[in-house]
Amino acid sequence: MHLDILVYGFIQSCALLLMAFGFSLVYGVSRLPNFAHGALYVLTGFVAWALFKQAGLPYPLAAGLSILISGLLGVAIYYVVLRRVRGMEVSEVIATYAIGLAVLEGLRYAGFRGGSYSLPALSDGVVFIFDVPVDHQRVWLVALGLFMVVAIWLFTRYTRVGRSLKGMAQDERAAMMLGIDSDRTAALAVGLGSMMAGIAALIIFPLGSLVVEEGYKVLIYAIAVCVVGGLGSWPGTVVASFVLGYSQYITVSYGKPHYQMVVMLLAIIVTLVIRPSGFFGKQKQLEERV
Amino acid sequence: MGAPVMEQKRKERIDRGIKVRSETLYALSSWEEIGYLITPRVLFIAAFLLMPILLSPWPYWSRVGLSMCILALLAISFDFLANYVGLVCLGGAFFYGVGGYTSALLNTQLGLPPMLAIPIATLIGAFLCTAMLAPCLPLRGIYFAIVTLMYPLLMTRLIEAMDILGGTEGFRGIEGFSSPWTEQYGLIFGLFFFLFGLRRLVNEDQGLVIRAVKDNDQSVRASGISVTWTKTKAVFLASLPGCFAGAYYIHMYSNVGISAFALDLSIMPIAATVIGGGGTLIGPVIGAALLVPLSEALRDFGSLRIVVYALVLTGFVVFRSEGIMNVVSRKYQQFERWVKV
Amino acid sequence: MKKETKVHLSFMVIALVALTLSLLPGSVRAADPIKLGAPLSTAFLYGWDAERGIKLAVEEINAAGGVSVGGEKRPFSVDVIDTRDLEPGVPVDDAIKAVEKLILQKEVDFLVGGPVRSEAALAVLDLLSKYKKVSIVSTGVLSPAYHKTIAKEYDKYKYGFRISNEIVNIIVNEMMSVFEKLRTEFGLERVHIMVQDVAHARKSGEVVEKFLKKAGFTVVGHEIYPTGNTDFAPGLLKSRRENAQILFVFMDMPETAILLKQWKNFKLKSLPYGFMSAAEQPGFWDASNGDCEYALVDVINGGNSPSTITPWTMKFVDAYKKKWGLEPEGYGTSSSYMAVYALKDAIERAGTLDSDKVVAALETIDLMGVYGRIRFDPKTHQVIPSTDPKEGAVSGFFQWQDGKRVTFWPEAGATGKLMLPPWMK
Repeated sequence: MHLDILVYGFIQSCALLLMAFGFSLVYGVSRLPNFAHGALYVLTGFVAWALFKQAGLPYPLAAGLSILISGLLGVAIYYVVLRRVRGMEVSEVIATYAIGLAVLEGLRYAGFRGGSYSLPALSDGVVFIFDVPVDHQRVWLVALGLFMVVAIWLFTRYTRVGRSLKGMAQDERAAMMLGIDSDRTAALAVGLGSMMAGIAALIIFPLGSLVVEEGYKVLIYAIAVCVVGGLGSWPGTVVASFVLGYSQYITVSYGKPHYQMVVMLLAIIVTLVIRPSGFFGKQKQLEERV
Repeated sequence: MGAPVMEQKRKERIDRGIKVRSETLYALSSWEEIGYLITPRVLFIAAFLLMPILLSPWPYWSRVGLSMCILALLAISFDFLANYVGLVCLGGAFFYGVGGYTSALLNTQLGLPPMLAIPIATLIGAFLCTAMLAPCLPLRGIYFAIVTLMYPLLMTRLIEAMDILGGTEGFRGIEGFSSPWTEQYGLIFGLFFFLFGLRRLVNEDQGLVIRAVKDNDQSVRASGISVTWTKTKAVFLASLPGCFAGAYYIHMYSNVGISAFALDLSIMPIAATVIGGGGTLIGPVIGAALLVPLSEALRDFGSLRIVVYALVLTGFVVFRSEGIMNVVSRKYQQFERWVKV
Repeated sequence: MKKETKVHLSFMVIALVALTLSLLPGSVRAADPIKLGAPLSTAFLYGWDAERGIKLAVEEINAAGGVSVGGEKRPFSVDVIDTRDLEPGVPVDDAIKAVEKLILQKEVDFLVGGPVRSEAALAVLDLLSKYKKVSIVSTGVLSPAYHKTIAKEYDKYKYGFRISNEIVNIIVNEMMSVFEKLRTEFGLERVHIMVQDVAHARKSGEVVEKFLKKAGFTVVGHEIYPTGNTDFAPGLLKSRRENAQILFVFMDMPETAILLKQWKNFKLKSLPYGFMSAAEQPGFWDASNGDCEYALVDVINGGNSPSTITPWTMKFVDAYKKKWGLEPEGYGTSSSYMAVYALKDAIERAGTLDSDKVVAALETIDLMGVYGRIRFDPKTHQVIPSTDPKEGAVSGFFQWQDGKRVTFWPEAGATGKLMLPPWMK
């Protein structure tokens, strides 16, 4: 059998999980669709590149700083933009999407184009899993993807901040009555989500090179995973990552590489038409449908 | 706060007398009232009718004028769906692309001349768009926005992947217009037709039902009218100007390709509507008239023009601007004064 | 009072005379420039290298006095516009608008360079015939559809010329002889084809497959990747399963670098060979940390990597290095440079800027250039190719060896020999 489907499908799934988890977290906690997610992903990659290659910082420091910057940008986006349009979902989508567009096209205008920018891999080399060659960076990717799932689970269960996030996600009114500040939690969620986009970027970009177009792709992948899993549902995000990761890899190995994107777009449309709340979302008849 | 003796004032808006007088049949009583009513309309129409003549010494800018009309049509389509039906469609490029490809096929495969291909493509395209969007119509809010955003992207990828409709090459050698004057006036009259047609429609019975869907769909359902069917009709109406724009444009440049589904074509109309003032149908046209020349002037700077309109769009959305048209028409119809509380 | 006025008057007269005198020789020197428009996707290699080639040629020609049109010496001026047509999604529409802007607003007399993408260049043919502007495409645009379209409707599309090599010839006469060389020297014959989903690359994939099969090679797979694809692992693993020995790559997107990186990481027992725009640049060695070593790259027109095709080749390479600080980078450089010289030659022989007359002059051009003899086929407006620089335009193929681009084909211009990666021996 083609064992590479098993191995690489798993890797692809973990990559999707990394790309989508930040988006899912933000929507889950504060019902905010952060359409600037893909742009923050790309921006973190370029910031890390600039700090490392231009400013000459050691790579771990550059990476840490760039993730922090991404988080702060997320918080800034919340306070400057999202807070003002909160509750008007479509305005949230348009505003964050336009910000993402400005960031991505701004990077392009600033001259960050083509394939000549790249981030270093954590370690170089190849391991053989079931006789399938896998480079080290992909192993790191899987490890980090799984670590993230566990970490978030522990975080929302055992820490004060994490529990307030979860509380907000479950019932905003009740959480507010218990003294959880809605604004601060939402800002925190957007910040955390943006940091996750940044972490994903730093672990996925070394597989290829830094390109602006990834921003649009990551956004669509994140939306696809979240919609299929059920917008805002964390277990749904994990399951959907694996379903979509494997279906992407299988269609690519048996069909054409083009279908990578087609799979995602079709998944979004079909899910929304048939079951808008995805695998794990709660049916909210009135919110979704007439 | 500190001094209770200080008198507090608030701003009050009152309709101008002339506005009230010209609302009824009495408008005909004097030239002043008639002038008040028709001046803005005449100015608007005259500006468009004179545009090709005034711009004829600058062929480049007259092309920009045409691009503006194209964008205006797309923006009208967005405005109608978003502000009269309550469906925010982030995929305006879908209408445009379907109209464009349909007209291209009619012209290159069946040999129909542009003047026949465009109206037929507008109708067929609108049917196709409505049929393809129909399953999504029960969705609302963000769900409808996301799903429509994906439609044009999916079309691009499908055409690429399945190598249908000419693949990445698209269709070339599509017949152009017989003269620049037919080209320009055809588009301008098309724009007038959809603009004034929709403006009239929203105040007719049908239009009232459509608007009710936005305001309170449950009450529409309670009156025994199918919400989804009303939405279907509305989507058909909205896809007409979009398909017309696409169909017209591909004859202007004798070419159609997957860039007919480009993201720009979905975002620019939204920006034009937000800037010009949503919910007026005229506003989007004004927005397009500002945005297109700006964007063309920035063409030399490559992607900077996208940055600029994205930032303008964010600014208008975040600060919840009403848009130019709403502000201007309020100033025209009302005056403000400070009154004691 | 009166006296003062007189003084003023005489001053004015003197000033006027001086002005006229200073203008007289000046008017000869600063005659109306001949405006060239260069629609290029300037964010990408094939855009900026063409822009540099064009500017170098214009500078040289202007320094030598300009172009003589009907007894008057006129300089060239260039307007470059970003067409964005190499970006993912094939945005042909932007390219058309950009070219129209050059014609209508910048009022250029001729077009050189792009648009770069075949789809866009084909779409622009309609614009050329509408505005009757002569254009010499010199970068990108490999698709045979370009010259076939011109030949089919000559009267409509006669304003388009292509001065760079065209893909069917490249494959049939040039790439196939490199394949033969690989087979006879190293015994490589299992080929995996990987191409990008754009007109010229898809077409090339098909033609290569057909000719490889005819020549007795085994084609183990044929992948088509969308522009902007960033993961090639599925295809590469397939070629590992099938024991491919040659990876035939045909891509103009920067993401090709990822393919080479993954190939190197997996230590595949196959040699990447083909048309890879990313790997053409001298700076690619550093950008890819040497991952591109052993890759065989086609630079389409000779002179885009140092070689010894004609006496003008190294002269051009050195002049380019002096002006821009690095070797000619890729495919569009030498041809865009020659396009300006070809235009100069044609304008001078036509004695006018009239489009139809310049078309006629270009059809009869015979110029010894950077990459061989430049002549256009009068019916298809395609530069006439050859493997002998004395007969026509020739190509260049190089291999990355220890940070250097070593030209190994054609033999006439070779600067070194082919090598296999150590893990393939």
